[in-house]
Amino acid sequence: MATRTITLDPVTRIEGHLRIDAEVDNNQVTKAWSSAQMWRGLEIILKGKQPQDAWVLAQRICGVCTTVHAIASIRSVEHALKAAVPMNAHYIRNMIMAQHSLQDHIVHFYHLSALDWVDVLSALKADPKKTAQIAQSISDWPGNSETEFKAVKDKLTSFAAGGKLGIFSSGYWGHPAMKLSPEVDLMAVSHYLSALDYQRKAAQVMAILGGKNPHIQNLVVGGVATAINVDNLATLNMERLAFVRTLMEETQAFVQQVYYPDLLAIAGSYKEWFKYGAGVTNYLAVPEFPEDSASTKFSLPGGIITRGDLQNVRPVAGHSDAYLIDNIQESVAHAWYGGNASLHPWKGETKPDYTDFKPDGKYSWCKAPRLAGQPVQVGPLAQMLACYAAGNGRVKTLVDGANAKLGIGMGDYHSTMGRHLTRGMRACVMADLSLEQLDKLTANIASGDQTYANPVEIPNGEFRGVGFHEAPRGTLSHWMVFKDKKIENYQAVVPTTWNASPRDEQGAMGPYEAALVGNPVAEPDKPLELLRTLHSFDPCIACAVHAVDPAGKEITRVKAV
Amino acid sequence: MKILIFGAGNLLLSDEGFGVHVVRYLEQHYTFPECVELFDAGTMGILATHKIEEADWVYIVDVVAVDGEPGAVLRYGKDDFMLNRVPVKLSPHQAGVQEMLLVSEMRGRCPAEIYLLGVIPVSTAPGSELSPLVEKRLAEVADALVVELRARTGLSLPVR
Repeated sequence: MATRTITLDPVTRIEGHLRIDAEVDNNQVTKAWSSAQMWRGLEIILKGKQPQDAWVLAQRICGVCTTVHAIASIRSVEHALKAAVPMNAHYIRNMIMAQHSLQDHIVHFYHLSALDWVDVLSALKADPKKTAQIAQSISDWPGNSETEFKAVKDKLTSFAAGGKLGIFSSGYWGHPAMKLSPEVDLMAVSHYLSALDYQRKAAQVMAILGGKNPHIQNLVVGGVATAINVDNLATLNMERLAFVRTLMEETQAFVQQVYYPDLLAIAGSYKEWFKYGAGVTNYLAVPEFPEDSASTKFSLPGGIITRGDLQNVRPVAGHSDAYLIDNIQESVAHAWYGGNASLHPWKGETKPDYTDFKPDGKYSWCKAPRLAGQPVQVGPLAQMLACYAAGNGRVKTLVDGANAKLGIGMGDYHSTMGRHLTRGMRACVMADLSLEQLDKLTANIASGDQTYANPVEIPNGEFRGVGFHEAPRGTLSHWMVFKDKKIENYQAVVPTTWNASPRDEQGAMGPYEAALVGNPVAEPDKPLELLRTLHSFDPCIACAVHAVDPAGKEITRVKAV
Repeated sequence: MKILIFGAGNLLLSDEGFGVHVVRYLEQHYTFPECVELFDAGTMGILATHKIEEADWVYIVDVVAVDGEPGAVLRYGKDDFMLNRVPVKLSPHQAGVQEMLLVSEMRGRCPAEIYLLGVIPVSTAPGSELSPLVEKRLAEVADALVVELRARTGLSLPVR
């Protein structure tokens, strides 16, 4: 059979603009190319600015991950100046990070990826009574009533009659790869609608703790600018903290009783997707949620996993781990930047050199980060595997439970569905840790600790620092060099740079590319299976342009050659 | 009655940040009562659905990449969104504003009135300043919006 090339440009339901080219032979992907179609100018804009202000601009790099860039940026200055951060500031930052993760994971599952597995039109055929029986058998969520499901079905029916469902035009309804029952479809659509209320609660927590959402306002080098006074109504007081607790508990209940059970139900219906999409099985996660002032102890461990081997995981000791810092390089052999050298981020260059899409030459705006010369996958899968290997109790309970329920083993995690499953586990962990951090904050305040920042003056002289953060999409790092209070070099190595990376000078594919190889494609004109694998990474190519589609342009161009 | 002015855009890409610049201009030049909220949305997409649902009237200010004269300002209403007549997928971010509004409508929480005021950008190159032409539109769009709100609501919205 002739080889066909499928081009998805842009890939929808993601942040930003990603183009994927895949060669398909006998209904299977044989080669793939991942191309970021946008150019990020952040590094250039930050040159010459003051290091302590960089986080304000850095959080504009992306619309969804604003917080994570702010954190990584401020940490890079703290690392450079060896600034200690007081515990109250850590707890507040930790809660902001954990709640941001929850918001991201809930929206990713329901709004950005569920429709790859859930057929909205099929839900029109569902019996609401049976739907309620199924939903109640997997969860005791109060919203799982026949009345609720019937209301959603009626609404869908009226929208379909009015021709309004066409707006979900990127969905592949009726595709042979869709296999949930109409009842499970209706359950998922109903939860898709209610999920918006819970991502909002997480956003509210961030706004209360961070002063504003999006774009938190409360960071300073050496801590937070949050004013906490347990008795003063104008500051973060006990009443506000009690409200934060309520919001966190509501979101935790949604994750435990809706998101995670829905995910297990979908994973159980699509078990073959534990066999596809492994790709690169080297993983990296950094430890997260500092538990001491010097940032040496963490709630969740990190680790470096090589070729899926969970027996010999290299621990990442902390955010100053020398092996990690020394061994990251970015290759531009296949990226639209000048030169062919692999450079360490502190020496990184950002010199655009666009050449058009050349599969054997340069074909992406994304650089190719490598750890000790190897491509690496980052994200919840990497973090949950590292936690599991390190014996983290919370993660072990979740993994063992899912393995028993779904009849899968650790080898099945290296897959498209493995990424979804571990993201759901991570959401459970984030919901629990949020409350744990709140308990620790209130206990610390009660013990009389009123310190929120160790103010730091930026001294003259040359400094370099790196700020790591284990973000919702994986390991993020901001690398800064500053001299006499001005930024000389700034490089952000974001999770999607690791995952969406093009080939390197050795020709080794990045994680998206490698994960697509071997994927089935039932109908090359409707490459739903490719979207399933891509969306499982939670792609975020944002970091740049916002309005691009000219009038009339197709959302997804599928080109068969 | 709650009115939301929703400034969308990326501040790092010159004219892309138009919506955010309009919100900042309004903050600096006028005084608004509590029922009018100025919201710097950045590039949030579907994560901002709840902001929209909490308002009765919404004005989204953004750039639109349609064929036409750079600097031109286009206006769309709720029907344009619901019937998919806005000639752009407002943003390649995530699911886009049309799906977001449709989902709100399904939840029975879509605002009664919703408008998009979109300027056609001159440049979206990296940079934190607007292009001179779009900079000129900034005050025009913001001031016209204030005039419209005064006429429709009777609020005084005094100049600062």
